[in-house]
Amino acid sequence: MLELIVFYVFAAMAVIFAVVVITHKNTVVSAISLVASLFSLAVMYVLLEAPFIAALQVIVYAGAIMVLFLFVIMLLNLQLQDEERTRPVQQFLGWFGSAAFGITLIYYIVKATVIQTLPHTPFMSDVRSLGIRLFEAYVFPFEMVSILLLSAIVGAIVLTQRGPMGEEPRGDR
Amino acid sequence: MVPTSHFLILGAILFAIGVCGVLTRKNGIVIFMSIELMINAVNLTFLTYARDLHSLHGQIFVFFIMAIAAAEAAVGLAIFIALFRHRETIDVDEANLMHW
Amino acid sequence: MPFDATDISLSVLKIAIVLGVLLSVTPIMVWVERRGSALIQDRVGPNRVGPFGLLQSFADALKFILKEDVIPAKAHKVLYTLAPMFGLLPAVTTFAVIPWGRAFIIPEMTLAGWTLFEGGRLFEPIVADVNVGILLIFALASLGVYGIVTAGWASNSKYSMFGAVRASAQMISYELALTLAAIVTLMSAGSLRLVDVVNSQAGYFVLFDMIKIPAWNMFPMFIGFVVFTVSGFAETNRLPFDLPEAEAELVAGYHTEYSSMKFAMFFMAEYMAMFTMAALITTLFLGGWDVPWYDEPPTFLGFALSVLAFATKVGFLLFVFVWVRWTLPRFKYDQLMRLGWKVFLPLAILNIIIVALLIAFQWI
Repeated sequence: MLELIVFYVFAAMAVIFAVVVITHKNTVVSAISLVASLFSLAVMYVLLEAPFIAALQVIVYAGAIMVLFLFVIMLLNLQLQDEERTRPVQQFLGWFGSAAFGITLIYYIVKATVIQTLPHTPFMSDVRSLGIRLFEAYVFPFEMVSILLLSAIVGAIVLTQRGPMGEEPRGDR
Repeated sequence: MVPTSHFLILGAILFAIGVCGVLTRKNGIVIFMSIELMINAVNLTFLTYARDLHSLHGQIFVFFIMAIAAAEAAVGLAIFIALFRHRETIDVDEANLMHW
Repeated sequence: MPFDATDISLSVLKIAIVLGVLLSVTPIMVWVERRGSALIQDRVGPNRVGPFGLLQSFADALKFILKEDVIPAKAHKVLYTLAPMFGLLPAVTTFAVIPWGRAFIIPEMTLAGWTLFEGGRLFEPIVADVNVGILLIFALASLGVYGIVTAGWASNSKYSMFGAVRASAQMISYELALTLAAIVTLMSAGSLRLVDVVNSQAGYFVLFDMIKIPAWNMFPMFIGFVVFTVSGFAETNRLPFDLPEAEAELVAGYHTEYSSMKFAMFFMAEYMAMFTMAALITTLFLGGWDVPWYDEPPTFLGFALSVLAFATKVGFLLFVFVWVRWTLPRFKYDQLMRLGWKVFLPLAILNIIIVALLIAFQWI
């Protein structure tokens, strides 16, 4: 009962902030709404008995990736970009198409899932079993992801670095 | 406990909102943020089924998705910065050098 | 496990105690800071308001409440008002997972015909004992960056923006060193819960069959202790890492344009964060509530002694925070970033390797 209330409150928050992300014209407000939406999703993950992933979501997504977004927006002064409402046909098709897509998805989900009436044994995953699984069965993807992150760091630096005299960045040659 | 369908419907709604954001906005950063929203909706679906089927594989998948999304965000923002330095705008309609 | 009225009332009591202590830390620390700095700088400090200037904090609070609340002309009003609340959020919530005393069994009591605590109830002095304990602290601490960044941007002023960018860059760099330095304590405890970390520091190291030193984590993991403490200084923007809010450099950094209660909230958030950081250092490295050379029994006496030990250690660390602030000069920005990335990160990783070897050879 309490879980349902928490679910509805935070689901409403996640959806409302997501709508603010795509509709507000100030980019900084969009970014901060996305942080709030991701935080509400982290609460959802705790409800789904995955507390470790919830903590990771706040640390990695809401705490690092979105800070990166905010830095880029603020340092490049991107909130001053105003959007002229050109291409109204495309906008309308965008709204209509995504609404139709969403409604179709929800219809098929409701048709396909059975509301559980059986008692559910709780499955609070602990970090130890997650760690064991990560280092035994998934050790190869784990190491590959570390190399991927290294290449992402190097790529980001190469794309944005300037020449020694402050000339044009080398990423455009 | 909360039924599975509730979480799946929430994931579907967030995914649809993300799709709308990608198709409707012209500001590149907002499009990028909508993509992140879609990735999170997919994470929610993975974790829902991880709980439903009592399997830890869903959670490990979400772990990897988060790591890769972090890498993607870093490189994507670097590309936006490079684009901004050329064109002084983040409007994706202006990135049309390969247009005929 | 089923919750009943006793559990709920005990939880409310714990929350009240923790909140009360957190909210009263700021006035006490303001007094300690001003008298302590006066002591170090060979002057008197505030001594007019009350005996030894003890009521100075009340005078300051009254001043903050009565000042005019100025909002700059082109500031973004909503975000400008929300920023201090973002800053206050991690400061107030992270203390929830820190154990501040020994768990003891409340004996069964009968008061006026009511039987309370039938069968003896275990009182665990930790507000929320989640099994990913320390990750909650890192998660909420990483949300602290938003308060600074939003405050700096929403103020629409170049000093605020520069201060905010520097402060957030500093915070995210030292967060990395902080997390890596804390991992060694988790490795030796084998769990993410802070209660397990404190319990693993309960034994003794016996040297030469004669000297018993308490098995606190700072002895075998000394590098980690130093890295964690110094990164703690950087995380809470205290000298020698307070370039983002230094008066001589950037007016007042990210809170330049803030006045009266909003500034007071930033001020309070900084002292509360300092208190939480001192409590975290105590829990991870100094043995938490463990009284050295004494096995506290699980009774109320043991609990009281353990809370006293915890308060003493935290108080000593807070005094060290004040002491360092008025002794050392501040770091330049590039020295600060170099220290965080090129010195602390390798040291923390080296510490992990050393401790992993020690654990593998079962010396810890």
